[in-house]
Amino acid sequence: MNTIKLVCRNLFRRKGRFVFTLLGISIGMASFVALLSLGGSMRGEVTRQAQAMGANFMIMPEDICVFNLIAIVTGETISESLPHEIFERIEVLDGITVIPHLTQKAAVKDVPSVIVGILPEETRSFREWEMEEGEYFAYQDENAVVIGSDFAERRGLNVGDEVTIRNEQFTVKGMLAPNHSNDDMTVFLPLSVAQRLFEKEGVISYMSAKVDDMAKMEQYEAAIVAVANVQVATDEQLLGSVLAILGSVNITLQLVAAVALIAAAFGIINTMMTAVYERRREIGILRAIGGKRRDVFRVFMLESGLYGLFGGIAGVIIGLSAAVFAGEFISQIGANDLLKGASPQAGVDVSVIVTAVLFSLTVSIGAGLYPAWKAAKLTPVEAISYE
Amino acid sequence: MNKSIIKTENLEKIYGKSKVKTHALKGVNMEIPQGSFSCIIGTSGHGKSTLMHLIGGLDKPTAGKVFIDDVNISDLSDNKLSCLRAKKIGFVFQFFNLLQNLTALENIQTAMMFGRGSPRRQSGFAHERQRALELLELVGLSDKANAKPNEMSGGQQQRVSIARALANDPDILLMDEPTGNLDSKSEKEVLEHIFKIHKTGKTVVIVTHNKELAAQAEMVFEIKDGTLSIT
Ligand SMILES: Nc1ncnc2c1ncn2[C@@H]1O[C@H](COP(=O)(O)OP(=O)(O)OP(=O)(O)O)[C@@H](O)[C@H]1O
Ligand SMILES: [Mg+2]
Repeated sequence: MNTIKLVCRNLFRRKGRFVFTLLGISIGMASFVALLSLGGSMRGEVTRQAQAMGANFMIMPEDICVFNLIAIVTGETISESLPHEIFERIEVLDGITVIPHLTQKAAVKDVPSVIVGILPEETRSFREWEMEEGEYFAYQDENAVVIGSDFAERRGLNVGDEVTIRNEQFTVKGMLAPNHSNDDMTVFLPLSVAQRLFEKEGVISYMSAKVDDMAKMEQYEAAIVAVANVQVATDEQLLGSVLAILGSVNITLQLVAAVALIAAAFGIINTMMTAVYERRREIGILRAIGGKRRDVFRVFMLESGLYGLFGGIAGVIIGLSAAVFAGEFISQIGANDLLKGASPQAGVDVSVIVTAVLFSLTVSIGAGLYPAWKAAKLTPVEAISYE
Repeated sequence: MNKSIIKTENLEKIYGKSKVKTHALKGVNMEIPQGSFSCIIGTSGHGKSTLMHLIGGLDKPTAGKVFIDDVNISDLSDNKLSCLRAKKIGFVFQFFNLLQNLTALENIQTAMMFGRGSPRRQSGFAHERQRALELLELVGLSDKANAKPNEMSGGQQQRVSIARALANDPDILLMDEPTGNLDSKSEKEVLEHIFKIHKTGKTVVIVTHNKELAAQAEMVFEIKDGTLSIT
């Protein structure tokens, strides 16, 4: 006979209560794990997107708000827009390579999709794109689109297929090689075609730019601001502000999870208090046959600790499944491909698992302290006399 | 007469801290010789259980002393007292003696878990199990080793309790109305085992209402309103 065996018998005695208490902590831990791993993969995704842009900095409308910075990184459309002639003014500046983008949203095969108008040749060399299949389009290709590889796969498109965008027919001329950014989920059109199609003649959304000499960044910035009424943000600034937003989103999510966990901890306290009350007689017996206060304390601590261990493990399993499922779901609806990186490999992070189980153990041991202390404090006679 | 293994000096117990106080024991002096068979009798509510709890180290007296083997146990720490209960004393109560979710065998093994380190006992799981089975055989319940308390009759449960009280080979057996809940047939069975165990040299103290049993005891203490008279 040993303490562990004794505790396990107690734990499984009331199966209903065991299961419900366990559910409490599992759900708390699951939300914690799900949010943690979703948040983690969002972060990784944003960093990857920004790298794939190949730019040193972005040129945006001056009145763009910080939330729209996310939109640029994620390939969403942004409402503010720049006159096209600003592009021409910046283009002629020395030492700066700049490309314009017009990002819009339209239904393709009945699913909302991101459509980006670009200058074909300039963008291709700027972004160092490779072709997966078919051919790249030229400036004068009026009815040709180039699509990302994920987009092709999800919408079941092949090179040579016809697609309808805003009631116009286009031919898929080529497919880009995947670069694991939102390019993979985008439809590209020549800029002039996009402007006409979306009735945005003479308008662009933002520009990406590269400079010959990063050391002179400040000079370039001054030169740009001198010729145009725009806002300039380097990749680091952009990434920094996006990550800051994601960070605060993460903290909010984690707070929600923490509340769930606290509720679960009270569930454990409640269960253990009930157990102490119900088992007074048994505590008395244990003490009468020679059990010390610390033996009783250990029995009850182990019991709540086991709730934490089992709850933590179950929580990790549920939470990771939820994260993977949610990631899939969010990318399925296609409204936002930011989370398409929330794939299983992004979710299964050993440190998250270990942290979660340890955390769950800590919470349950903390929750067990008071009931166990109450149990150990009973004198043998108090416990025995109870009927 | 053998030397006394249990001795009390002016033992007093007052229950309750606030206005309602119960003076349960009012200066009890008693001596119980080693290896004897004693009964404590008396009307309900007059302090029999209280006295048993005090001499068994389950509770502390308000005043006075309890000596077990010449050691004043009123001075012992909670831990030392637990050790004493584990190794020197075996308890049997009137009812609900057993841990309900453990089998008969496991109940006995649990008591052994607390008695480890006793010089009289060999430890080791295999040895403990073997000894627990022997104790069950002693009370005639070899076939109930794996039965849970709710699968046994009241008399069988009390016999398991007696076997458990012997788990660590204690000198003293304290039983508070061990047959109080049983029909006369079961009572007879349980008492037979108690007599058998007494013959192995144990000091046995029983609280009872059974006149026949009291008549067979070497010493009978009667408690009346918290004071003792020896008959
Ligand atoms: N834990 C307690 N708190 C307060 N009073 C108590 C407590 N235990 C016993 N008493 C009181 O002390 C007195 C003696 O009780 P005790 O249990 O020793 O009687 P008893 O002789 O064993 O009775 P019975 O034959 O019914 O078991 C009673 O008046 C009882 O109400
Ligand atoms: Mg009593």
